[in-house]
Amino acid sequence: MGRIVLLFGMLLGGAVQGAVPEDPFNSPMWEYNLDRYLGKGSEVVHDERVKLTVPPFAEDSAQVPLTLDLSGFPSKVEQVITWVDLNPIPHLFTLNPGESSTRLVSLNFRVQQATTVRAAVRDGNDVWHIGSAYLDAAGGGCTAPSLTAANPDWESHFGTIRGGAFSQLPGVRYKFSVMHPMDSGMVGDVPAFHIESVRLTAPGAAQPLLTMTLSQSAAENPMFVFELAQQPDEALLWMRDNNGNVFERRMGGGS
Amino acid sequence: MRARVLTLCWLLLWSSAGQASELRYSLEATSIAPDTWLVEGETGNFSRDNGGNIVNVAFIATGNGAVVIDTGPSRLYGEALRQLVEATTGEPISHVLLTHHHPDHVFGNQAFDPDTLYMLESGRQALASEGEAFSDNMYRLVGDWMRGTEVVVPANTLEPGPLVVGDHRFRLLEFTGHTGSDLVVFDETTGVLFASDMVFYNRALTTPQSPGVMVWAKELMVLEELPYSLVVPGHGPVVTDDSAFRQMNDYLSWLYQTLSSSASRGLTLAEVMNLPIPNRFQGIAGSRYELIRTTTHLYPRYERAALELLSEE
Repeated sequence: MGRIVLLFGMLLGGAVQGAVPEDPFNSPMWEYNLDRYLGKGSEVVHDERVKLTVPPFAEDSAQVPLTLDLSGFPSKVEQVITWVDLNPIPHLFTLNPGESSTRLVSLNFRVQQATTVRAAVRDGNDVWHIGSAYLDAAGGGCTAPSLTAANPDWESHFGTIRGGAFSQLPGVRYKFSVMHPMDSGMVGDVPAFHIESVRLTAPGAAQPLLTMTLSQSAAENPMFVFELAQQPDEALLWMRDNNGNVFERRMGGGS
Repeated sequence: MRARVLTLCWLLLWSSAGQASELRYSLEATSIAPDTWLVEGETGNFSRDNGGNIVNVAFIATGNGAVVIDTGPSRLYGEALRQLVEATTGEPISHVLLTHHHPDHVFGNQAFDPDTLYMLESGRQALASEGEAFSDNMYRLVGDWMRGTEVVVPANTLEPGPLVVGDHRFRLLEFTGHTGSDLVVFDETTGVLFASDMVFYNRALTTPQSPGVMVWAKELMVLEELPYSLVVPGHGPVVTDDSAFRQMNDYLSWLYQTLSSSASRGLTLAEVMNLPIPNRFQGIAGSRYELIRTTTHLYPRYERAALELLSEE
């Protein structure tokens, strides 16, 4: 109950004053990144129902797991934007769910130093609901050469995709990994080379199940996890990197 | 303004000098068997409070020189250990046997005569390639305790098999479960098994370079067959019975089942890190912290195995 009152209070405060709430983590990038990714003057509230999970510390700065659980979010999710406050390019991904709501999304990211991580969820009233978490890190994940680049026969594995569908009745969880160096462009003599767009569609449907755009904070050989509230018979996966390589695969139904 | 800056400088000097004088490991040798002493570490994580002293180090007076097993986390620790060994045994140190390349076991090497340092060949290579990265991380985690510490790769290569020093006959065994190169020293004369990090007891095991939990579990079956009277784990208290082995087997099996069943259910890495840990492991220090680390190290392999190759149409 207290939470609802608090939330209501923040909603009201945001609406009346147009000011953003205080950041409980006191990140120096809080307001800057809100303006940058959500747009100046956007209505913003903290919301525990945007359940963002990262570990308390990064065991591997190049592969930090992030899971965003939206199963407790009460209304339709219009858009999700995630970012890593103190990374050189903070943006991680933007997700546009389709008609069947996305209940969970997961992706590993790189981290350059200890930082707060944010997930912003836009509801139907254009209010952004923010989930935050703090991550301790030795850092250097964005500027370390990829393991792929150190492997002379990386091209033979490039684009290898493994996937699976896991029933979460009545929904489904899709999980797939792609062998891709996801070079950030921040390592000397290694240009940016990473997957930019991901799309899942149900054959015959007018609207995609979801679309996602990615930035340089995404980790090498990414493992994507999406849980949808309703399970389609079949899903088609489509991805494209910034060099124009397109990857298309058919995902089965839940097993 | 200038006065304020001077005061600030003075304060900084004073506080750092105060801190520097406190940085001293108070190592104690506990007799655990004839001619045999243990220097027991805490079961916590590396921190600026403990200076990285989280490891068990041991030494044996053989009558023809002391044998030291591992050198601790820093130069400062190594120096304190060398003095302790010499004062306790009254013998010069003839052999320093280094069990594996993790920083808490080999970063005191500088304090010892280089000619006395011995390590398995695979361990020497691992230390040469990964030591500097470990060193960076140790400076970050324990700070000033590391001052002056440098990676020293042992000059001498150990071969598995018998090693006789003075009155003691040792059996050296090579395993891989913890780091890919793990030395276990069995003193046949006293029956003391220096298991090092092949065995953790009441302290969660660590897996950054482990080839896999089932590889580790299989090797423990071999280790458990030795006619030991006392087990000295790499971390945690010594035990006379098989309880440390039973705990290791139980914990490794649980890890295996948790990781494989999570992968078959399609769980994410972050979800697995937060899974409940069974009550029977409550007494194991650092279990949540190490589950987070182990999941990062090992879960991706289980995840990949649970997915099928999707080919182009």
